[in-house]
Amino acid sequence: MSAAVTAPAAGAPAASRGILLLLLLPGLVALVVTFLLPLLWLFRASFASSAVGTLSGGDWTSEAYTTVLFDPFYWRVAWNTLVLGFNVAVFAVILSYPIALFLARTQSRFRGVLTALAVAPLLTSSVVRTYGWMVIFGDRGVINSTLQALSLTDGVIRLTNNSLGATVALIEILMPYAILAMLSGFGRLNVQLEEAAAMLGANRLRVFTRIVLPLSLPGVLTAALLVFVLAISSFVTPRLMGGGRVFVLGTEVFNEATVTLNWPLAAALSVMLLVLFSSIILLYQRALRALEV
Amino acid sequence: MQNTSMLGRVAWNTLITLLYLFLLAPIVIVFIISFDTRQYLAFPPESFSFGSYVKVFENAKFISAFWRSLAIGAIVGIVSVSAGMLLSLSLVRYKFRGKAAVNFLILAPFLVPHIVLAVGVMLVIAPIGLLDSYPGIVLAHLGITIPYTVRTITMSLMAVDTRVEEAALVHGASPAMVFWRITLPLVRPGLIAGAVIAFLISFDEATISLFIVSVKASTLPTEIYHYLEYSTDPQIAALSVILILISIGVVVAVERLVGLRRAI
Amino acid sequence: MADHHVIIENLVKTYPGAQKPSVDHVSFSLPRGEMLALLGPSGCGKTTILRMIAGLIVPTSGAIRLDGRDVSSIPVYKRNMGMVFQAYALFPHMSVAENISFGLEMRKVGRAEREERVRKALDLVKLAGFGERKVSQLSGGQQQRAAIARSLVIEPELLLLDEPLSNLDAKLRDEMRDEIRDIQARTGVTAIFVTHDQDEALSMADRLAVMSAGRLEQIGTPREIFDRPQTDFVASFIGAGTFFEGKVAGPGVAAVDGLPPLRFVGEAAVGSPVRLMVRPHRLLLAGEHGQPNSFTGVVEHIVYRGQILTLSVRCGSRLLQADLPTHAGVLPQKGDQVTLTVAPEDVTLIGREAA
Repeated sequence: MSAAVTAPAAGAPAASRGILLLLLLPGLVALVVTFLLPLLWLFRASFASSAVGTLSGGDWTSEAYTTVLFDPFYWRVAWNTLVLGFNVAVFAVILSYPIALFLARTQSRFRGVLTALAVAPLLTSSVVRTYGWMVIFGDRGVINSTLQALSLTDGVIRLTNNSLGATVALIEILMPYAILAMLSGFGRLNVQLEEAAAMLGANRLRVFTRIVLPLSLPGVLTAALLVFVLAISSFVTPRLMGGGRVFVLGTEVFNEATVTLNWPLAAALSVMLLVLFSSIILLYQRALRALEV
Repeated sequence: MQNTSMLGRVAWNTLITLLYLFLLAPIVIVFIISFDTRQYLAFPPESFSFGSYVKVFENAKFISAFWRSLAIGAIVGIVSVSAGMLLSLSLVRYKFRGKAAVNFLILAPFLVPHIVLAVGVMLVIAPIGLLDSYPGIVLAHLGITIPYTVRTITMSLMAVDTRVEEAALVHGASPAMVFWRITLPLVRPGLIAGAVIAFLISFDEATISLFIVSVKASTLPTEIYHYLEYSTDPQIAALSVILILISIGVVVAVERLVGLRRAI
Repeated sequence: MADHHVIIENLVKTYPGAQKPSVDHVSFSLPRGEMLALLGPSGCGKTTILRMIAGLIVPTSGAIRLDGRDVSSIPVYKRNMGMVFQAYALFPHMSVAENISFGLEMRKVGRAEREERVRKALDLVKLAGFGERKVSQLSGGQQQRAAIARSLVIEPELLLLDEPLSNLDAKLRDEMRDEIRDIQARTGVTAIFVTHDQDEALSMADRLAVMSAGRLEQIGTPREIFDRPQTDFVASFIGAGTFFEGKVAGPGVAAVDGLPPLRFVGEAAVGSPVRLMVRPHRLLLAGEHGQPNSFTGVVEHIVYRGQILTLSVRCGSRLLQADLPTHAGVLPQKGDQVTLTVAPEDVTLIGREAA
C-alpha cells in the first residue's frame, strides 16, 4: 500500500504507511472475522456432508443442495417466502407512501416530532413488536375480544398461527424502513414544482400523477426493495406469529441450524437465500437505472 | 369548490391519523396490557396495577439477561466505535491502494441478510467453543454494528475542516496533540452517536443472537423470544415497556447531551 | 542579501504525477521586519510557497533559511511560525482565549504567563473583553483579529497570512488592511502574505513578489512593480494599460504601427524590437497638437467611475485608454475629437530596468 497524507510534513512516507496499517488493522480484522470469514465458511459448509451438530471436514459433497432441490417441501418454502415478501413489500409501501408524502411536504412545526414518531418503532426490538401483534391478533386478543363484545362473531377468528398474522405484523414492523427510504428518496420533490404545475393549469390529480408520482418513484422502489429483502430474510416474526405453522426460508434455516442441527442444510438454505437476495438487488439496480434514463 | 377541498383535507388527515395508529398500535397495546396481571393474555385488562412490573423484577432470568444485554451492548458499542474511528480516519485522511476494497468490506454487511450472517458466524465460532459465550455474541454483533459506526464517524470526520488541524500543527501541536486536542473533540458527537447506535442495535438484536446464545450468554431479546414460544402473559408487556423506555431514554439523553440529529 | 532574515533558495515543488512543477525554482529574501506580498492569479503557486514555508508541504528541492539556518527538514510544529488562514481556521470548540492560548500551551508556557500574554494579544488586536466568547459568536472581522492574535501570541519567527482579506466585505477589508499593516509595524514581525488582489498587495506590502505559473516574475517595491514592470505578465497583471509593439528608431524614440513616433526614457539599441506601455492615468488631455507624444482621435466610449472618467479613444488602428480626473473642467463627450499626450518618462519600456 502506498500512502499519501494530507497533513504533517514530518510524517515520512514510511512512517505514515505504518500508521495507516495500525489504523486499518483492528477494524479490518474485526470485519474479516465477523463478516468475510463467516460468509466463506458458510459457502464451504453448504458442501459438507451432514452430521448432527458438527461439520465433517475434508470432502466436498452437494448432498445438502440435492436435498433442497429434490424435496417439494423446500420448493413450497421458497414459494411461501416469495409470496410473504411480495405481500409485505406491496402493502408496506402502499401504507407508508402517504405518511412519507405527508412528512416530506408538511409545514407543521411538529414535523420533527411526527418524523420521530414514524421511525420510533425502530428503537424497539422486533421481538417486542411481534409480541404487540400477538396481543392484538391472539385468540383472546384485542380484535377477537372487540368482535365478541359487539356480538359480531360467536367463535374465535384465527388470526395468529397462520401467514395472515405474520404478514400483517411484518408490514407494520418494516414500515418505518419504508418511510425512511422514501423520505430520503423524496429529495427532488418540492412544493414549488407542484405550484408551478398548478399555475400551468394542472388540477390536483394531474399534479399528483404527472409531477409527484414520477419524482417519488425512485424512493418508492428503494423502499419496496428494502422491505422485500428484510421480509424474505425474517424469521422471528413468522416464527412467533405463525406458531410453527408458517414455513419460510428464515424459519427453516433457524430450524436446521438450532433444532435438527443439520448444519450443511442450514448453510445451503442460507446460500440460496443469499442468492435470491443478491439477484433481487441486481434487478433493483437495473430498474433504478431504467427509471433514471 | 371550497367544500370539496375541505373534504379532501379532512379525508387526507384522517388517512394519515389511521396510518399512524396502525404503525404505533403494537406499542400502544403493549403499554395498555402491561397493567394487567392475569396469567394469560386477554383484552381489555380487568384491572389496573403494576403487578406485572413487579413480576418482571422478581424474574431472575430476565434480570440477569438484562444485565448481560447491557454489558454486551456496552462492549459492542465501545469496540465498534474504537475500530470505526480508526477505519474512518484511514478512509477519510489517507489515500491508499485497496481503499475501494476496504470500503466495500465495510458496506457489504448492509447487503447481507442478518440470518445468513448468523448461520455463518455460528459455523465459524462453534468449532472454537465460542457458542453461547460473551466473546461469541460480541463478535457476532460487531459484524453488523461496525458498518454503522464507520458511516456515522466518517460523516462527522469529513465535516472537520482540515485547515483547523493545520492551524494547530503550525502553532506548535504535534500530530498526536492535534488528534487529541482538535480532531477528537470535533468528532465527539459522531463517536457518541455511533456508540449509541451500536449499543441499541446490540441491545435490541434478536435474529443473530438466537443462533449464537442459548443459556449462559442469553440476551434479553432471546429470553423474551423463548418465553413467548410458550406463554404470552402480561409480564412480557411490562418488560417490553421497560425496554422501550430504556431505548427512548438513551436517545433522549444523547440528544440532550450532544444533539444526536446533528451527529447522524 | 546573505544577512536577510528569511531566504528562499531555488524552491521547487512538483506534486506526484504532475507534468509541471507547481513552484519552479523560486528565490527571494526578506530583511527582518519586512512585509512581503506574494501576488499572482489563482494556481500560480503562491499558496504552495506559503505552505512550504509553514512546513505544511514538503518541498521537492530548495532551501528555506531563517537567519541562515535551513528549516526545510524541521517538522511543521517545531518551526515556530504564525499563520493566519484564509477562512481563519479558528478551533470551533474553544473560546477565543483558548484559541489564542493554544500555541502557548503547546510550548508549555506556565498558566500565569499564558493568561498575561493572551490578554496582551487580545489588546493588540482590539478584542479586549472578547476572550470568553465562542468563536461562532464573533463577526468575520473579529474572527480575523482572533486568528491574528493566535498567530502572534507565540512570537513567531515569521507571520504568514493566506489571502487574509478575501473573506471580508469591502468596507471591513479597508479597515483590516490598515489594521494588519499597523499590527505588523508595531510588533516588527517579518511577514509574508499571499493575495490575488493587486490593490491589497500594493497598499499593504513593503515589497511585492509577482508570480505566474510557478515562476517568480518580478520582485520589488510597489512603485517599481507598478511603474517599471519587467515582464509582459507583470505589466498586464498589475493595473491597466495600453501596450505598443515597436522598433527603436533612434535614441529614446520608437516607431509604432499606426501612430506617430513614441518618445520614451530608457536604454534600447537602435533597430531592436521593444514593447512599451502607457498607464491610463498618465495620458492627459492636451490643448494643442504638436507636443511630443500627442495622439489625436475620437472618443468611442466613456465610463464614468466617480472620481475618474475612463475614455476609449480611437487613434487610427489603436484604441487608447485614458483615465481623466472628473474635476478637470469641461469633460469630453462621446464622439468628440480629443488630443492625448504622455510624457516620455511615463512611457514604460517593458523588460528593462529603469534608466
